[in-house]
Amino acid sequence: MSSLKTKLVPRKSAALAAVAAATVLAVAACGGGSGSSSSAAGSTSNSGLGGSGVLAQSVYDSAPVAPASAIPAGSTMAMIKQKGQLTIGAALDAPLLSQQDPTNGKIEGFDADLAKLLAKYITGTTNVKTVTIGTQTREAMLSSKQVDAVFNTYTITPERASQVAFAGPYMSSGLAVAVKSSDNSIHSVKDLSGKTVIVGANTPAITELPKAAPNSKQVAFGTDPEAVQALTQGRGVAYVQDLTLLASDAKANPAIKVVGQPFTSEPYGIGLNHDDAQFKTFVNNWLKTIESDGIWAKVYQATLGSVVQGPVPTPPAIGSVDGS
Amino acid sequence: MNALTGHLSVLGHGVVTTVELTAVTTVAALLLGIIVAILRISPVPMLRGIGLVYVEVLQNLPLLALLVLFVFAFPQIGITFPLFTSAAIVIAAYEGAYMAEAIRAGINTVAVGQAEAARAIGLTFSQSLRYVILPQALRAVIQPIGNICIALLMNTSLAAAVGVVELTQAANNVNLVEAQPIEVFTGAGLAYMVLALIIGFTTGRLERKLAIVR
Repeated sequence: MSSLKTKLVPRKSAALAAVAAATVLAVAACGGGSGSSSSAAGSTSNSGLGGSGVLAQSVYDSAPVAPASAIPAGSTMAMIKQKGQLTIGAALDAPLLSQQDPTNGKIEGFDADLAKLLAKYITGTTNVKTVTIGTQTREAMLSSKQVDAVFNTYTITPERASQVAFAGPYMSSGLAVAVKSSDNSIHSVKDLSGKTVIVGANTPAITELPKAAPNSKQVAFGTDPEAVQALTQGRGVAYVQDLTLLASDAKANPAIKVVGQPFTSEPYGIGLNHDDAQFKTFVNNWLKTIESDGIWAKVYQATLGSVVQGPVPTPPAIGSVDGS
Repeated sequence: MNALTGHLSVLGHGVVTTVELTAVTTVAALLLGIIVAILRISPVPMLRGIGLVYVEVLQNLPLLALLVLFVFAFPQIGITFPLFTSAAIVIAAYEGAYMAEAIRAGINTVAVGQAEAARAIGLTFSQSLRYVILPQALRAVIQPIGNICIALLMNTSLAAAVGVVELTQAANNVNLVEAQPIEVFTGAGLAYMVLALIIGFTTGRLERKLAIVR
């Protein structure tokens, strides 16, 4: 009752609380360590892939530069050339597509390398300023001209094309299915009907999965490592995600495997300002140039080609998709 | 407004899940808060220590980190809760720490003489808490508890990160189809605002109704 009398028990000291909190943090960190071992392994080998995913300097050196006639005064290209750098919107956490290497700050991957090559085509140097961009902000950043272009596995859709212009498609990928390595009952997306399936939050899988596998139940996780962890812990029987991402996950983590072929076609475009037809034509011409002289294939081989099996695919025809 | 009206059932399910999560965790956090507050004023030093550690640990870790830890670390040792249950447990535990501090503040507003009088008429510790201290203490902190409820409502949006499709996740899913972020998230924001106003209005009414006229 003595403490009831005084009511407020004085805090022993801040130090006591700090020690207690530190202890629990340490315990939590241990638990988390074992809990997220596979995602830790994933990030290690991703940086390993980053090593092989770096495009050789000779490719940049041999990349084309636009003739002066292609850059009329007053155009977007002329302004970029005057600034001496291309400003793009991109992610920093997409392995093999656009991932920042924390040791040197360089951004590597298929999308990032193409952006550097476009910068070289316009300015003569591979000088790119990357603005981190979210899937919710891409349209707004382009229409307010805060970025010149978006390289962000930006799937071309008619809805989006009403707000932005798409150059390309420059790549075609699709949603695929990953399951636990021990699972032999699922062979394609059709086997997912009525099952619980893990998807990435804010990815096309959320809208595409119900079409391909009716009655499937979705659980969405915010990041790719979380989704992989959830799959290995049995929160769902499968993980549906873009094939390139799944391929690098499966290479990093032997506990999961990719089954079947991609069940959708996701044509990726370069997002540009909606009202700048001149710049769109210019970027499309650049894409045709690098696709015909073999540079596109070299970029693919150095990045996505290191995990996706099979020969280098043929790039999709420019303007072949509704919305491009 | 087509982006919103075309997906009312998705957004409606999101609102229902948010309300369910808020209701369940508010009740649990309030009970937990009362227990922890009592621990913190109990005459047993060990129990006071447990209360102190609980509050300091839970208040000083980010909720998102706790959610991710709980959802991904526990299955590693063979304990797997459904995602909604996991989110409810973690949010209740986290907000319980804040509730405990608010309730303890309420206990401190009760005059020392009340506790002495309770003891003088022979009430035990738990009797004096039940009949004398807590009824007065809780009345004093209805508005702070209401504020914690509103913070709790906002915090339920973090459950989206661990796969619970509540209002924020539903809005994200709708935006994925419509690519109209301003409309969709303004709509979701308004829904949160209405829910928060309901909580604020209710606690305001409760406070006036239960006020002690001294």
